[in-house]
Amino acid sequence: MRRVAVIGVGVTKFGLHDRTSAELFADAAGDALTDAGIPASAVQALYYGNVVGGETEHQLHTGPQAASVLGIPSVPTTRFETACASSHAAFRHAVMEIGAGVSDVILVGGAERVLNVSTAESTEYFAYASDAVWEQPLGLTFPGVFALIARAHMEKYGTTEAQMAAVAVKNHRHGALNPKAQFQKQITIDQVLRSAYVADPLKLLDCCPFSDGGAAVVLASEEVARRHRKPVWVLASAAASDWMLLGDKRDLARVPATERAAAAAYRQAGLGPTDVDVVELHDCFTIAEIVASEGLGLFEPGAGGRAAETGLTSLGGEMPVNPSGGLKAKGHPIGATGAAQIAEIVTQLRGEAGPRQVDGARTGLTHTLGGNTATVLVSLFGRD
Amino acid sequence: MTESLITARAFFERARAGQLTAVRCGSCGELAIPPKELCPACHARAWQPVPLVGEGTIASFTVIRVAPRAHAADAPYAIAVVKLQEGVSILGRIVDIPLDKVAVGLPVRFRPLGAQDQTSIGFGPLG
Ligand SMILES: [Zn+2]
Repeated sequence: MRRVAVIGVGVTKFGLHDRTSAELFADAAGDALTDAGIPASAVQALYYGNVVGGETEHQLHTGPQAASVLGIPSVPTTRFETACASSHAAFRHAVMEIGAGVSDVILVGGAERVLNVSTAESTEYFAYASDAVWEQPLGLTFPGVFALIARAHMEKYGTTEAQMAAVAVKNHRHGALNPKAQFQKQITIDQVLRSAYVADPLKLLDCCPFSDGGAAVVLASEEVARRHRKPVWVLASAAASDWMLLGDKRDLARVPATERAAAAAYRQAGLGPTDVDVVELHDCFTIAEIVASEGLGLFEPGAGGRAAETGLTSLGGEMPVNPSGGLKAKGHPIGATGAAQIAEIVTQLRGEAGPRQVDGARTGLTHTLGGNTATVLVSLFGRD
Repeated sequence: MTESLITARAFFERARAGQLTAVRCGSCGELAIPPKELCPACHARAWQPVPLVGEGTIASFTVIRVAPRAHAADAPYAIAVVKLQEGVSILGRIVDIPLDKVAVGLPVRFRPLGAQDQTSIGFGPLG
């Protein structure tokens, strides 16, 4: 495989927008191309993530739709849908296409628009990522999936609601330093613990928000990337899947797909968890960050809650997690999330993250999880 | 071949009659619920239907308070992963147990639920 680098990134502010998902993507992609310093004519393919376009915008065929709105209609375009991990899956396939020598420059990104429909509607659409025969008819929701995981983690390891709240407080503290974040306001443990239950034991402030937004990154072969000011190298990009049905998962307190994708990524890069300086991981719910931090090997199984509570995962801590504010505070436009996490790690490794910079970060990791934990992507990044 | 059992439709027909059914691999003995085409353990395609007792304990649960539109009238309601006596697990709606009594380890018994002309999996008190 040839070496592949990220040479440009762009992210819209996340939150409420009066723009279509294609427009949000195009905005981010325009910024990513400017950041890369290459003309749009250099782009040889678009790999695009979008999830509920059919439901919220009555728009399928969102790949070429996004390319047309951007103004590059003639490149081959493919839409990826792996629930919340869609644009990270798109990224992995672009890395392989450049690595294989098929293309030299690929635009990867994603976008989502959901705030144009009611919370009841978006709750229903997000539940579509669970099984339509065996789980949706029971009234299972996306928070419900992670509530079942949270309960299992509490039973097995003694994880507490206060430890989960510590994740939310930490990510809001980080988000307050990110001008692109949906929430730039700090919250307290007490506020989280007093917020209303959505799916016990998860409360409103344990949950990431519904968000609109777009994100894009420009990938290039080594030859092209060498002409760029600060290429960030893709050291690994791995995917893993797991059973769809919660009843088929042997241990709800763990996410095997995270463990398998992480093992494959570390193997590809010849690195281990202790080599990682900064992490953007999938905190769609506070418990998701705890379980992911364990599955990635950053902490022992069962130690993730305590790690958050004692500040290990805070900016300035031993293992900073989600300096962007994470999905919790930055927001979670599901089709854009994977690309946005990659954009944050690239920004961190370039040393351009301003007040949320992890000092001296040389190696970064992104982790994106799809829906009910049946899809996980893990990528590793390094700088010269 | 267990053609009549391999489909979700056949499973729910039996469930409607009160019988929770799994399949056992004729090659390696693996038990699975719901049915799958291939045995996940040995990839054989030699299932035999196995009636289950329908009793188990709650492995994890949640109380859904913000529900999808179609279930909004039911909220709040409990959903649980139930570990069945035979060792396999399945997701179901908890019924006829007060929400504050639902707990990990609580014994429950299968019962078919009919909603919107569709059978789904429920679990109620054992006694
Ligand atoms: Zn078998």
